[in-house]
Amino acid sequence: MSLINNTLLLVYRNFVAAVDRTFLIWMVAFPVVYIFIVGYAYSTLIGDRGISVGSITVTYTSFLTSGVIGFNAMNGSSAVAGGIVWNDKRNGMLQQLLVMQFSKVQYIVGNLITIILVGLISAALIMIIGFPTMYRNVNITLWSVPYITYALAMGSVFFGSFTIILSTKIKSSEAHSVISNGLFLFFTFVSSAFYPAQGLPTPLAIAFYLNPLTYIVDISRAGIFSQITTFTNVQVLILGVLAVAVFVIATRSMVNMKV
Amino acid sequence: MTDMSNIDGEDDYCISVSNLTKKYGKNSPYAVDDITFNVKYGTVFGFLGPNGAGKTTTVKILTTLLNPTSGSVHIFGRQLLKSQSEIKKRIGVVSQNPSFETNLTVEKALDLYGVLWGIKDKQIRKNKINEILNTFDLESIKSVKNDELSIGQRRRVQVAREFVHELDLLFLDEPTVGLDPSARRLLLDHIKSQVKSGLTVFFTTHIMEEAEYLCDQIAIIDKGKIIAFDTPSGLKQKYGKGNKTIELTFNDVPDELFINHLRKIVNMRRSDKDANEVTSLVGFIGVHTVTITANNVEQIISEVLQLVYKNGLQLENISINPPSLEEVFLAVINKNDNSKDNKVNL
Repeated sequence: MSLINNTLLLVYRNFVAAVDRTFLIWMVAFPVVYIFIVGYAYSTLIGDRGISVGSITVTYTSFLTSGVIGFNAMNGSSAVAGGIVWNDKRNGMLQQLLVMQFSKVQYIVGNLITIILVGLISAALIMIIGFPTMYRNVNITLWSVPYITYALAMGSVFFGSFTIILSTKIKSSEAHSVISNGLFLFFTFVSSAFYPAQGLPTPLAIAFYLNPLTYIVDISRAGIFSQITTFTNVQVLILGVLAVAVFVIATRSMVNMKV
Repeated sequence: MTDMSNIDGEDDYCISVSNLTKKYGKNSPYAVDDITFNVKYGTVFGFLGPNGAGKTTTVKILTTLLNPTSGSVHIFGRQLLKSQSEIKKRIGVVSQNPSFETNLTVEKALDLYGVLWGIKDKQIRKNKINEILNTFDLESIKSVKNDELSIGQRRRVQVAREFVHELDLLFLDEPTVGLDPSARRLLLDHIKSQVKSGLTVFFTTHIMEEAEYLCDQIAIIDKGKIIAFDTPSGLKQKYGKGNKTIELTFNDVPDELFINHLRKIVNMRRSDKDANEVTSLVGFIGVHTVTITANNVEQIISEVLQLVYKNGLQLENISINPPSLEEVFLAVINKNDNSKDNKVNL
C-alpha cells in the first residue's frame, strides 16, 4: 500500500515541480502553429489531391493533425522526463527524495507513470484542439482505441526513457542542449509525422523507419482513421520492443545515478 | 516528536553504530574504518573532521544512501538495513549539497514537501508553513522561486523544510555553509530549542565555534577512524593539556627581530612533552596581533612583557584565553598524522 502511495506521491510531485504554465503553453502553442499555419499553408500547395492513409485518402490537415498528436506525445514526455531527471540530478533532489520515505524503485516507477501520463495528456490536448481540422476523416472505433493509446503510451515511454538516458549520461547543460536538440530535430522531421513515407527516395524511407516516431505516428494514425493492417501490427511489435529496451537502459542509468 | 517510550524496540541510544566500515572499491582504502559510537536521545552529536575524513560517507550510511561494507547501525533501537522505511519517516536530513525544486516558489516548495511527508490536510500544511516561514525569517522571500534565491537563502529553505514534518532525529551535514552570521545564529538557536523539546541532532561542521555552541558530545574523525571523543570541555581538557593562548595586540606591526626573540623565549620554556599538543607556539592574527600558545603562560608572561618594553612596542591589548576547540581539533589531527593507529572506540 505504501509502495503505491509513495509512487503516486512522486507522480504528484513530478507534475507540481515540472509542469508549469510555460510548459503548458509551449506544449500547446508549438503544435498549434504546425496544425493551423503549416497545415493550411501546405494544403494550398498540395491542392485537393489529399494524402493516402491505408485504403483511404485524407486531407493534408487531417494527415498532419494525426501526425502532430504523436509528435506531441514525444515532445511532452521527453521534455518532462528530461527536466525531472536533469534537475533532480543537478539540484540534489534525487538524494533528498531517497533520504525521505521513497525508494529508487518508487522514483523510477513514478517517473514512468509521469511520462506516460504527460505523453497521453499532450496527445489528447492536440486531439481536442486539432479535431476541427480532421473531423471529416476521423473514424475512431472501439477496436482502434487500444492501438492509439498503445502507440502514444509506448511512444512516451520510448522518448521519455531516451531523454532520461541523455540526462543521466551527459554532464554539461550545453552538451545536453546541443545533443538533444540535434537528435530531436532528426526524430521530428525524419518521420511520417509531417509527410508520408510512401514515394520517398529509398535511403530517406529507410531513415524514416529507423525512427520510433514514425511507428508512433503510423499506429496512432491507423487507429484514428481505422486503417489497421498487418503492417500496423508489425509496427506495434517493433515499437513495444524498442520502448521496453530503452526503458530498461534508462532504468539502469537511474539506478546507477550517484547520490 | 514521537513518544519514544511507546515504540517497540527503542533502547537507550538514538543512534548506535558498531564496527562500521565502508570501502568504495575492492582496492580502495577504507573511507570509514571500523568506527563505533552511540548518540543519546535529545542531544547534539558533533561529528568533526578534515575534508575527506569520512564524515559525509558516515552520514550517507546513516541516512540509507549508502550500504556499509560491514558493521551494524541501529537507529531508534532498530536495525537500519531492516527497518529503513520506518526509520526514514522519523528523520530529517540536510545534506552538504544544496537541494531544491528549481521552478517552485519557497512557499510552494514547502507545501509540496508537506504533501510528500503525508500531511494531507491543506490547512494544517498552511499553518505549519506559516510557522516555518516566520521561524526561519523566510516571509519576505516566500513568493520567490528557488532558482532566484541567493545561496544563503536557499540553504535556509533547505534547513527549514525539514521541520515541515514531525521528526525525532535530524542529520545536519555542514548546514551553515553560505549563511550569514545572523542566519547562522538563527538556525543554531532554533536547533537548540528543538533539542530541548527532545530532538536528537547529528551534526557535521568545519566551524568549531558552531560545534562548541551546539554540541553535547563531539567525535573527531580522521582517515576514516574516530580519533577523539568527548564533550567539548572534555576534549579541551584532554587535548588542550592546560594550554592557554596569550594574545598581544600592538599599536604598530612588530618586527621580525622581536618575533625571533619571542620564539626563543617560548622555545626555551617549552618541554618536549608539549610538542604534539599545539600546532604552533607563536602565531598571528592579522598583522598587529601575536599569539603565544603554551601550557606555562604564567611563567613566560613576565619575560614576554619585558621583551615588549625592551623593544619599545606599545601594547593596545593583552588577553589570556583557554584553548579553543579549533586548537584542540588541530592538535588532535596533527597527533593522528604522527601516529599510525590511534583509534578510539566508544
